Amino acid sequence: MAIENLLKTSFLGLDLQSPIMVASGPATHDVNQLLMAEERNVGGVFLKSVCSDKFEHMRSWPRPRYKLLDWDKQIEGRSKTFTLYSYEQGYSGTLDDYWNFIRSGKDRVKVPIVASIFADDVNDWVEMAKKVEESGADAVELDISSPHRPGTMEFDDAFKKTISSVVKGVKIPVLVKLAPSEDLVVHCMKAEEAGASCVTLCNRIRGFDVDIESQRPILHGYYAGVGGPWTKYYTMRYVAEAAQKIKIPISASSGTMTGEDAIKYILLGATTVQILSVILVNGWDSITRIQEEIKEYMKRKDIASLESIRGKALEVMTDPDEIIRWSGESKQGPRNVYRQR
Amino acid sequence: MSTGKDKYFGLPLLPPSFVKEFPPVAKVIEPVCIACDRCVPLCFFDAIIMEQRPLHKFERVAVVIEENCTGCGLCFEGCPVDAIEWIPDKEMPGDKEKART
Repeated sequence: MAIENLLKTSFLGLDLQSPIMVASGPATHDVNQLLMAEERNVGGVFLKSVCSDKFEHMRSWPRPRYKLLDWDKQIEGRSKTFTLYSYEQGYSGTLDDYWNFIRSGKDRVKVPIVASIFADDVNDWVEMAKKVEESGADAVELDISSPHRPGTMEFDDAFKKTISSVVKGVKIPVLVKLAPSEDLVVHCMKAEEAGASCVTLCNRIRGFDVDIESQRPILHGYYAGVGGPWTKYYTMRYVAEAAQKIKIPISASSGTMTGEDAIKYILLGATTVQILSVILVNGWDSITRIQEEIKEYMKRKDIASLESIRGKALEVMTDPDEIIRWSGESKQGPRNVYRQR
Repeated sequence: MSTGKDKYFGLPLLPPSFVKEFPPVAKVIEPVCIACDRCVPLCFFDAIIMEQRPLHKFERVAVVIEENCTGCGLCFEGCPVDAIEWIPDKEMPGDKEKART
């Protein structure tokens, strides 16, 4: 297979040139940014989430809205571990601006565009999703798990109803973005049942931090979304769990900094991998770097397509009962024997 | 490739009136700046550039481009000598009520 096609991925009936997609956020807030992503052969873009009119106040952002925590200033200003503590809110324009944004994005770039919406009322969700479809987006993502509003993480019947109503209301694929929680796998199953085409795992989690000098919470004094390279470990677990329970594709999102991280998500069953923090702190060329790293791995391991390794690590996952625990036994003989393929 | 000022031509990240009244948020304290170049790549919005200052100890300093700065806060943490400070937002009438809704 030609090297250029190595990364080809089929996702929601779309042919992506790469599994790497730009996640919804400050890197997909403007048409020019979509061009910057396309120049780097990204698989697709998730636009910044737009809020329904009821959440109009979330279109303005406090200043400053980010704080970089645990940022190592000594490594040429590029830290490998950090936390992006963010109180950035929704898309800063009106709904009409957003529909125009989708339209002009579709006019200018060829890569698939997934629009992201946020509301609380079922009718608002459906109406907005219909507008997204009318504006020409390739898919719509329901951001039901924003880290910034209390209560939005609850996955009650309202959300199930929302998903099924939106699915009924539009023809384009409907994605559901979920936040980490102990019930996440159940939520994934409910989303699949309700007709979602894909789940995005995971949204940023709501975090908190305190400054001990001033003895006050940092930034604006309220909880904020936290993300960063460390979030990949729990997301990998959720992707692995979900991949074994649901049949719809999974778009992994959290903490991807390198091609290695992206490959891990794919080995655990994800179809696409969304990146954002890395673009924010290391620049747009991170997309190219990550894709080159994946290609290099594929060539080294003689892998013809990502499809052939998708979920491969799950096949040899160990059952907790199979783990040898050495209680009182002499420490000789085989250690844990991994299940063979 | 679009860089710099025209990167966000489409939509202001903050209400225009607000930007006019409180520009810009990040400000480099020039005598403190050690011209280490760390903030330039860290600024996602291309709002920091290095400028020649023949009289400065390091002959160069970081400068914030007002039109591009969105006041996001990334550069403050990237500066090893705390040479970037921010101008805190003033409270506007009605802000508190707005925040509660």
